[in-house]
Amino acid sequence: MDLELVFLAVPTLAKGLWLTAILTIASVAIGFNLGLALAVMRLSKNSAVSGFAKGYSTVFRGTPLLVQLFLFYYGLGQLSFVRDNAVLWWIIGDGVHCAVMALALNTAAYTSEILRGGLISIPGGLVEAAQACGMSRLLRFRRITFPLAIRQALPAYGNELVLVVKGTSLASTITVLEITGHAKRLMSQTYAILEVFAIAGLLYLLINLVLITLIRLLEARLTRHLPR
Amino acid sequence: MLSKGNQNMKLKSLLLATFFATGLNTAHAAEGELSIGTEGEYPPWSMADAAGNVTGFDADVGNLLCAKLEMKCHFVVQAFDGLIPALKAKRFDIIISGMSITAERKKQINFSVGYAELANMFVVKKDSNLAGVKDIETLLTSLDGRTVGVQAGTTHAHFMEKRASSAVLKTYDTLDQMQIDLASGRVEAAFADSSALQDFLGRPDGKDFQFVDVKVLSTFDPTLGEGIGVGIAQENTELKARIDKALCELVADGSIGKASQTWFKTDISRPCQ
Repeated sequence: MDLELVFLAVPTLAKGLWLTAILTIASVAIGFNLGLALAVMRLSKNSAVSGFAKGYSTVFRGTPLLVQLFLFYYGLGQLSFVRDNAVLWWIIGDGVHCAVMALALNTAAYTSEILRGGLISIPGGLVEAAQACGMSRLLRFRRITFPLAIRQALPAYGNELVLVVKGTSLASTITVLEITGHAKRLMSQTYAILEVFAIAGLLYLLINLVLITLIRLLEARLTRHLPR
Repeated sequence: MLSKGNQNMKLKSLLLATFFATGLNTAHAAEGELSIGTEGEYPPWSMADAAGNVTGFDADVGNLLCAKLEMKCHFVVQAFDGLIPALKAKRFDIIISGMSITAERKKQINFSVGYAELANMFVVKKDSNLAGVKDIETLLTSLDGRTVGVQAGTTHAHFMEKRASSAVLKTYDTLDQMQIDLASGRVEAAFADSSALQDFLGRPDGKDFQFVDVKVLSTFDPTLGEGIGVGIAQENTELKARIDKALCELVADGSIGKASQTWFKTDISRPCQ
């Protein structure tokens, strides 16, 4: 380990930290809502609706994120109708936007599976009781089903969040300068692979430690009625 | 099962026969194998097909060198920015991958004498206002705030970081990816060696593009290297002496110049000092 290199690498890689955070936050914000919608669709009695959600989840969970990124960024970027459409090109033309889209679509598939598990775990009696009180479907979902499903799904969802943080590193392959992007650039300038990637790894570990702690705190709050 | 076993036997005896044949023919039987790291995705320097066969100028130089050294060669394909780390990890003996000799790289590995040098150039869209620029200083200042694509880990990337730091630099793992983004308009200019870009301009994707008529040579900025050399592990001084001697002879007798004519339609060989 070369200390001088460490002092050079830490601020350089820290520059990538905010972009890693933005990629994570934006894709989770989109992916969670999309995943929730897909989970509800999945439980629909209409077979076309539940079939679509099932197919979506199969396709996005069954193909590697890196392949999805390359398909969206390089693949769609070659089609002239995508390049000529201002909205599509705003998404596909920019590395960061494209990475957010791919990460969001990918995490939505996993989130839908996790939330579906949470939703079906809710005892029928609770829902019937809410119905008996005269709650509407929406109110029932907001007050009973959703909060209980989230409480059930939170440990598994925390896991998914950690995977999204790590998944952002793949954005470096489509020119996005997040932590790994800066690390690769610094590696080719200094060839100090050990130092540079050890620090990059530590930064990811730091982000995930903070994230895991936050999830644990939320979990503790949601289950505060339970004996410890 | 039986036929498979037979095939294995045949293969083994074939391998043994080859081994003995080379053993008899080679002067350096004990060290008669030379593995060469090359990028494999950098036409017309180094192109690898799906079966791992490498063609191009690098392959020709490698084969000429091995014939001269009376050694048996095989190529190992590896992404450009991983070539030096892999050489240090002894995954192959030498690098032949159009690699420019630079001070930074010399801290990591040894180089043979430079045996070739190419002009480095920018490519832009024909209707770009950079297209008509004629001198390097104007070109570098007018890149301010524009997106420029380079390949990661190349001298071009280092040159841009040093001389045009106000440009927005996009780095790519392969030249193909950079050219896709140039064609789609994600980058306004690309900086690479003239041969690689010439290849792009000849393709349908490159029809709306042209060179900026400025040749950037290593005499303008030493970041761009001391010509192109063979990368050799630092401790391998005996091999370096032999490779230097062989390369000088190959340049002097015109063999490398001839290979260069085949791939670049021009002689880029660099005579030994």
